Amino acid sequence: MDYPSRFDVIVIGGGHAGTEAALAAARMGVKTLLLSHNIETLGQMSCNPAIGGIGKSHLVKEIDALGGAMATATDYAGIQFRVLNSRKGPAVRATRAQADRILYKAAIRKILENQPNLWLFQQAVDDLIIEQDVVRGAVTQMGLRFFADNVVLTSGTFLGGTIHIGMENYSGGRAGDPPANTLAKRLRELPFRVARLKTGTPPRIDSRSVDFSKLIEQPGDTPLPVMSYLGKVEQHPRQISCWITHTNTKTHDIISSNLDRSPMYAGVIEGVGPRYCPSIEDKITRFADKDSHQVFLEPEGLETNELYPNGISTSLPFDVQLDLVRSMQGLENAYIMRPGYAIEYDYFDPRDLHYSLETKCVQGLFFAGQINGTTGYEEAGVQGLLAGSNAALRAQGKDSWHPTRDEAYLGVLIDDLLTMGTQEPYRMFTSRAEYRLILREDNADMRLTEKGRAIGLVDDVRWAAFETKREAIEREEQRLRSTWVRPNTAEGDALSSHFNIPLAHEYNLLNLLTRPEIDYAGLKAVTGTGVADQQVAEQIEIRTKYAGYITRQQGDIAKLKASESISIPADLDYTKISGLSKEVQLKLTDIKPTNLGQASRIPGVTPAAISLLLVQLKRRQANQNLEVSEQ
Amino acid sequence: MQYSQDTIAAIATAQGRGGVGIVRVSGSLAAHIAQQILAVEPKPRYAHYGAFYAEEQQALDQGIALFFKSPHSFTGEDILELQGHGGPVILDMLLQRCVELGARLARPGEFSERAFLNDKLDLAQAEAIADLIEASSVQAARNALRSLQGEFSKQVHQLTEQLISLRIFVEAAIDFPEEEIDFLADGQILNQLTQLRESLTQVIHKAGQGVLLRDGMNVVIAGRPNAGKSSLLNALAGYEAAIVTDIAGTTRDTLKEHIHIDGMPLHITDTAGLRQTSDQVEQIGVERAVKAITAADRILLVVDTTSPEAADPFSLWPEFLQHAPDISKVTLIRNKIDLSGEQLAVDNFADGHCSISLSARQGQGIEALREHLKQCMGYQQTTESTFSARRRHLDALQQAQSFLENGYQQLTQVSAGELLAEDLRLAQQCLAEITGEFTADDLLGRIFSSFCIGK
Repeated sequence: MDYPSRFDVIVIGGGHAGTEAALAAARMGVKTLLLSHNIETLGQMSCNPAIGGIGKSHLVKEIDALGGAMATATDYAGIQFRVLNSRKGPAVRATRAQADRILYKAAIRKILENQPNLWLFQQAVDDLIIEQDVVRGAVTQMGLRFFADNVVLTSGTFLGGTIHIGMENYSGGRAGDPPANTLAKRLRELPFRVARLKTGTPPRIDSRSVDFSKLIEQPGDTPLPVMSYLGKVEQHPRQISCWITHTNTKTHDIISSNLDRSPMYAGVIEGVGPRYCPSIEDKITRFADKDSHQVFLEPEGLETNELYPNGISTSLPFDVQLDLVRSMQGLENAYIMRPGYAIEYDYFDPRDLHYSLETKCVQGLFFAGQINGTTGYEEAGVQGLLAGSNAALRAQGKDSWHPTRDEAYLGVLIDDLLTMGTQEPYRMFTSRAEYRLILREDNADMRLTEKGRAIGLVDDVRWAAFETKREAIEREEQRLRSTWVRPNTAEGDALSSHFNIPLAHEYNLLNLLTRPEIDYAGLKAVTGTGVADQQVAEQIEIRTKYAGYITRQQGDIAKLKASESISIPADLDYTKISGLSKEVQLKLTDIKPTNLGQASRIPGVTPAAISLLLVQLKRRQANQNLEVSEQ
Repeated sequence: MQYSQDTIAAIATAQGRGGVGIVRVSGSLAAHIAQQILAVEPKPRYAHYGAFYAEEQQALDQGIALFFKSPHSFTGEDILELQGHGGPVILDMLLQRCVELGARLARPGEFSERAFLNDKLDLAQAEAIADLIEASSVQAARNALRSLQGEFSKQVHQLTEQLISLRIFVEAAIDFPEEEIDFLADGQILNQLTQLRESLTQVIHKAGQGVLLRDGMNVVIAGRPNAGKSSLLNALAGYEAAIVTDIAGTTRDTLKEHIHIDGMPLHITDTAGLRQTSDQVEQIGVERAVKAITAADRILLVVDTTSPEAADPFSLWPEFLQHAPDISKVTLIRNKIDLSGEQLAVDNFADGHCSISLSARQGQGIEALREHLKQCMGYQQTTESTFSARRRHLDALQQAQSFLENGYQQLTQVSAGELLAEDLRLAQQCLAEITGEFTADDLLGRIFSSFCIGK
């Protein structure tokens, strides 16, 4: 049957991409339907229940700055919080939280159910309704037809999913869930480029069978960090520790003598796995000289005994998993609650997408999350938010939006995917961002909230908090700039002796803050004036300390903007441009860059090729002007 | 169409020829650069006569400066033209000064490209511009490659490797803090950085002295034993660079000499005489001679006009023509006219080769040969010479050096690893202009193959 009413946006899939997509569209005021095969697993963390970490926390904070749910849910569900790289500079600091799987799911469910304009419906999707390359809706397993002109597909690892444990394999979307094979088959009929990726999980261990006295304890940070800009420490549940153990030569012997029973090594798995998250089989083979690897035992929740042993993801058969786990210190009597497994799934080449995440070949159809070749909750969530908001913009008849490489890690992520594609599950790292010093986790709100507000993603509460913070920063910076300290005055002497520096002449406080020896807290203590809000003080301090580098990066950004403002028509025939090498022609035809900046980032495209393109564009424009004037 | 441009600079005149050398600057910084170099505010379309200043009011050259205000200029941007007294060294210093003041070295064909983009050239010229860009980038690549051959290339690649391995440590420490690889905390990174700074300083020093980088035309002197090849080299060099005897086979190896003709560098290679020989050492010398001939820009084939083969040297030496890539690169030197009584003469032939009759020992006709070589260099002159390719490399090295110094300060004074990382990234960007691109993903790949990552 046909469902009696129409929607503006349908989101298929209730993982991290799907929930952020549905919430974003609904926040923007369009009628949104979230279709999931199981409402009980909305917001499910299928791998390790941890949010954030290097590069990833940056994405979470960007979701938060745009009004998304991930950071808030983390604040309600986090059972161990740490700031990584806390002794390195602010640009590379990253908050990481171990979450309670059940609390996290509950927090997401609560946000979803309280979101106006959003409807949830439980039923697996088997097909899309597509008329002449335009999407019109989706059909569920029981033949129910939902209509909407914008559909966001976030099917994660469910498309053609195959689970491997040892030489055994069966189809599945995630341990315990069925795959979406009918949908996968239908999608393969469309002109998308499809390939396979692989990812793995470790066996889960019952904490009652672990001897914690033999493990190294890793407590959370004090003071407790929060994830959301609006987050409060009081929102956190009870905090507990993680634990560390190590593999040893015995573990390694067990693995190497059973490699022939690993589907990866026996050639059963074709999909490519991530280089940065290798299976324990991979680690031992590729780094044969290392006789020990760290293993983090991370609790999956407060009310469960399940532990996630981070660092030993494997697809070896169960008997080997048991032996290798029990060879480690503290785990001699470990009981495995769920076996580890590897999963292979379909993904679509992200080079077939627009920056809005709308597909190039089906209008109104958006892809977000693992379907685009990424891995990680954070990478999925941020794409969901982008796709959902663009689906809503399209429903409203407005232009699409996306942040650029200098504005957000989200910008880096989509530009990397669209420009280079990916051969392995794509994960964010700070080294992928050339403007790392500008894209920090502390200033995602300064970078994005205003934009989010303009398109309707940011509600009044968040907006008010943001404006207050921004004004406080400007006011305080202004005060520091206009407050002068003179040598040989009481204040000058106090500063000199507190920081142990000579004052050569008159300085304003902002000047003083640029010096490495001087920090805001000290300045505040000595002068007796300053702001109490930690976030405000932090912004002022970081901006001042990084000022020289930021100015230089801004120079680079100005150039980037200029080349990105020159758009390339989609119908440009690269084979007709004389002088371009065959290789460059092929690459440009393959990717069809939307502007000159993107073209220049395609590996192998030379400055001379860019010059030729520019001349060609200019010529084309002049020809068009000529035609217009002749008419 | 809107497109922003930085300011570019280049030597606009052919290398080493004529009495005037021009440095051209185009872009928004042209007025500022003019003001700094001329020490007066430039007036548009007015010929300023005076000194061109380096830093601290030290005059580099004297000449005429012209300033054209946008849009009334060739490129449509502000243009400064400095017309000085030429000479590659002075011009290079002037160009370097412009770069210090914020310009960047122009790519080949870039002035014309800008002229076109700013509607200064009509549509019909678009094809020509495209051809120019293509041709000059091919030429530039060839010149860059030539400048990069041998020792210099080896050292730059070593430097790049050193830099990459340092970046692997720094970036891994930043992106994977939980992997027990925090090298920023231990002394390893500082050690590596110190070594890298030393290596880079050494390479710049050597490159600056021209020890590693040589440019100019490669001239090879070839011929039968005792035809007077070494005498010719000595005559050109002006002193006894090669030992000259009457015994055939005296020069057993290739001998190199670097000379200047009117300020233009020439590298002359004297080769062992081409003949079948049973002497092993001499045999190696002959092989080297053949190699040098294949790679030469110009071959001076010396024949003894007193010997019978002087009648028709090419047909007598079919094997020589096999080695010589192109007959138009050959100048036949008919030597020993003092003995044979032949007249001093310069003849051009239809197949492109040229013939000069002279006496190396007496010095007759040497001036004509020098003129001839100068002309050959002129013909060789293209949009971008090896000279500017070399300037580009040196410039990249120097920029890399300043980033490394900055990074060193950040590490040692503030222990700011993320700022060191930024400086290293920028330094690598500079080196990448010489050695080719290196992406963030390449770097991650190196990290994953060096360290076992995988929490």
